[in-house]
Amino acid sequence: MNVVDVATLPGEMGMVEAPRRRWLPFSPWHLLLMPVALVMLVPLVWVVMTSFETLAQTQHFPPILWPGSFQWRNYPNAFNSVPFGRWFWNTTVVTTTVVVSNLVLCSLAAYGFARIKFFGRGVAYFFLLATLMVPIQVVLIPTFLIVKQMHLLNTLGALIVPNLANVFGIFMLTQFFRTLPIELEEAARIDGASRLKVLFVIVLPLSLPALATLAVIQFLWIWNDFLWPLVTIYKEKAFTLQLGLMSFQGSHANDTNLLMAGNVMSMLPMLILFIAAQRYFVRGIATQGLKG
Amino acid sequence: MATVAPATPSRPSLAQRLWRSDHLAGWLFVLPAVFLVALFSIFPIAWGFVLSLQKASLLSPNRPFIGFDNYTKIASDPHAIRAAKNAVVYTFLFVPSSIAIAMFLAIALNQKIRLIRFYRLAVFIPVAVSTIATGVMFLWVFDATFGIANWTLGKVGLGPFGWFNSPSGALPSLVIMTVWGWLGFDTIIYLAALQGVPHELVEAAAVDGATRWSTFRNVTLPLLGPATLLLVVWSTISAVQLFDEVFFVTKGGPLEHTSVPVFYIFKLAFTSSFGFSAAGYAAALAYMLFLVLLVLTLAQFWLGNRAVHYSS
Amino acid sequence: MRRRVLVAALLGVALVMVACTSGDRSGSSSGSGSGEPVTITLWHGYGKVESPNGQVNHEALSLQNQIDAFNASHPDIHVDDVFCCSNDNALEKLTVALQGDLQPDITYQYGTSMAQIATAPGVMDLAPLTQDQAYDWNDFFAGVRAAGTIDGKVLGVPAQVGNLAVIYNADLFAAAGLDAPGPDWTWDDFVAAAKAISDPATQTFGMAFPADGSEDTVWHFDAMLWEAGGDILTQDNTHAAFNSPAGVEALTTLQTMAVTDQSMFIDEANSKIDALFNAGNVGMVISGPWAVSGYKDVNYGVQIMPGSRGTGSHQTISGQDFWVAFDNGPERAAATQTFLAWLTAPEQVQQDSMETGHLPTRSSVVTDAFVTDFNTKFPGEGLFAENLQNVQKARPALTSYDQVSQIMGQAIVSVLLGQSEPQQALDDAAAEVDQVLAGG
Repeated sequence: MNVVDVATLPGEMGMVEAPRRRWLPFSPWHLLLMPVALVMLVPLVWVVMTSFETLAQTQHFPPILWPGSFQWRNYPNAFNSVPFGRWFWNTTVVTTTVVVSNLVLCSLAAYGFARIKFFGRGVAYFFLLATLMVPIQVVLIPTFLIVKQMHLLNTLGALIVPNLANVFGIFMLTQFFRTLPIELEEAARIDGASRLKVLFVIVLPLSLPALATLAVIQFLWIWNDFLWPLVTIYKEKAFTLQLGLMSFQGSHANDTNLLMAGNVMSMLPMLILFIAAQRYFVRGIATQGLKG
Repeated sequence: MATVAPATPSRPSLAQRLWRSDHLAGWLFVLPAVFLVALFSIFPIAWGFVLSLQKASLLSPNRPFIGFDNYTKIASDPHAIRAAKNAVVYTFLFVPSSIAIAMFLAIALNQKIRLIRFYRLAVFIPVAVSTIATGVMFLWVFDATFGIANWTLGKVGLGPFGWFNSPSGALPSLVIMTVWGWLGFDTIIYLAALQGVPHELVEAAAVDGATRWSTFRNVTLPLLGPATLLLVVWSTISAVQLFDEVFFVTKGGPLEHTSVPVFYIFKLAFTSSFGFSAAGYAAALAYMLFLVLLVLTLAQFWLGNRAVHYSS
Repeated sequence: MRRRVLVAALLGVALVMVACTSGDRSGSSSGSGSGEPVTITLWHGYGKVESPNGQVNHEALSLQNQIDAFNASHPDIHVDDVFCCSNDNALEKLTVALQGDLQPDITYQYGTSMAQIATAPGVMDLAPLTQDQAYDWNDFFAGVRAAGTIDGKVLGVPAQVGNLAVIYNADLFAAAGLDAPGPDWTWDDFVAAAKAISDPATQTFGMAFPADGSEDTVWHFDAMLWEAGGDILTQDNTHAAFNSPAGVEALTTLQTMAVTDQSMFIDEANSKIDALFNAGNVGMVISGPWAVSGYKDVNYGVQIMPGSRGTGSHQTISGQDFWVAFDNGPERAAATQTFLAWLTAPEQVQQDSMETGHLPTRSSVVTDAFVTDFNTKFPGEGLFAENLQNVQKARPALTSYDQVSQIMGQAIVSVLLGQSEPQQALDDAAAEVDQVLAGG
């Protein structure tokens, strides 16, 4: 079988460099990307700087972008305080489980929808999409009742089970799988490979950019979710980070700085994952099959 | 899509044929996900529908059935009509602009230049920062008196604009804020899709003397079709269901100029600002919204499947 | 109580939860009999006692100390205090919990949610407690009592109260050559001062006003309406009354500053007022006791509301939060009443005020000696404690009040944004309110 090792592909990260005359000492794309990057970075700078300010400074106008003396105390022994470590762990367990489960279940389903013609395919596919069209505010209470019926309240299961398979993931992967050259798969089938083998040996390796993207998106959603944990978790032991961070606020305390410190801490894993995911932005072997 | 089964000499049994049939195989692949989604959807959606036939407050167990009254009063509810109009305007502004900008940005981020990882991270960052933080920031950026937006535009002789404080400017301001906030999401999906665009085709086109534009039109754009359909459908659903930014930032104001359907539904169901026992009516509105989205999505698929080229 | 949207929003970000402040002593629901104490659960929104940055959360600490003291002195009852969620999410959390029969015995709720809570199953009528002579229900402020009483049922005992007064920037007054506001000042003085302080060149506004159309917008107007001799609704709560000459006078005052003089900073999302006041860009804000601790960078003073032109009245309006109880069986219900009676007794009220800066909920606590001590510990808040005496009216205790407030809020904002004239806006709103009141 004709499986290409991704690592041996030429060219870094599948980028396209068109030969052109140089009228600048650097690529003209920088002229576009640098300002865009700066505009996109503003909130991060603001959030990070606010997280180092005193409360009085956060109340200041115009917003202070350089606090002078950094309040490292805002990033306290957070990890030493027992519940915080626990909440971080809870969130990690929930998020990891959900991401892995989605990568597997959504890949399976997407392959079925993209490549197998079966009775009821269109109806099943559209049924899945239709579930996206009911706002969560309306289904919050009945979903809560199901989870309660399953005796999952106050457990991490309440946060995991309803999220094991996500419709967006199925939708996205189906669209991506459909762009892959089918010739490779057909050749493998003729060679006697099972569909499962085709999926895992041919389709998924070709889809690493899509899978990495899905993992990042899914991680983001679960890591940041608060409405659902809010209504299903009543015990501190099962808190997620987003729930736990709020308990550092009093009823009237306008602790913007602490909030931002929490924000930065909870944002870091997402950014690290995003950076890590970039190594999978290697052009898939899509190209190999398409040459004709 | 031709599937070739390995040739077998003897006649297979019914069980064997079923096992090999595409129908069973297809269902086996999709069943785990479909089952999980159905488990957490069918009952809630049915529950919501029953609620839409009742005069109900979520707090009270006393919920008399009133037939389709909740549906018939939608047409004469000025708040619902206002919210629907806002949603239409918002969706028409948000969906095309966010997708077009994301596509352009993804192509830029697919160049082989220095700092590219930094640029990609930067574009992704607004998605990772909480809606609250970006909302608070935008209220300052767009402040009529103190905001940097008016200050900058003033330097080139424009404005001052009222932004969130002006009835006509609030919705466009919301569009700008959300396009900015969600650009990274669309962009990384396009970026992933671009990894499937064969380098060779682009080069071949360049060798053939094609202009960049015609290379883009004839090579890249068709290959981005499936991702574009994905984003159009997804962005439309998200735009019609816009909630967080309105809830945290504009609260529907000023004077309901940014009041959108799900925000109105939320206020009906979880507050009593629009009357008591309005949860049933809120559910009815949600079902109308559901139908509209269903039709819209079907139309998008129908159009999309004619325009989009799939490999198979 | 309604604090500004920024806080609401920030707290809302990651919302909520139920944490056992005191660890994991959640406990079995009831079960007395064999000498085991009756356990009741209390949900509050004060956060955790120790935040990881080493600062002490005085509100949470005060409540926990009081509960520990109660548990020690009442061996037959055990109160389990749980940080449920930020107060902004308390109603949502309760709504979902009730569907699953997971409601606590006591929960902290905003006064503005009381009408909705009245329809919840199992919500306790605390009349047996408040009718007890020893409890001295009338010691609580009248406006506050009224806000917790819906259709004759007492659905909550006061947990916190606040009221509106004027907080001014003394330096800006001096720079404009103005005397600091005195207790006899009027709205004409207020408008004139706002105009004098305003200066587009330095981006200074005479006052800042919350214009999100929420109840925060409306109660600012309510106080002015009452001062001018008006009312929100007619006596029998069947018709709107705010479109009276008094209402027009109040709204015209606001219009003068917002539209004519442009001396008002209109805060569309209700999120910037504190920052601008603290930065010295705003001369006056009308706010409550919770605001002053944030004003660290300016030299501020506090004064009661300006008097109305016609009546000379300086009355204000109160905002209040309540402890709401749910009936989870006779034993727990009895224990709940015992605890609430203790928690809201004068001794505990006074202690909590001195610890946290909360205004006393009982008038007997507000003695001259108390105000002096209180103001020393929490500068500027003494006036708010005294100002509780200026609360003479309450918003109508009506299930449809939120709807009335929503309609009024839109009318006020439309005038502030120059979209309509006071009389017209109030008349239109009144017609809408009448329809709501007639429709039930």
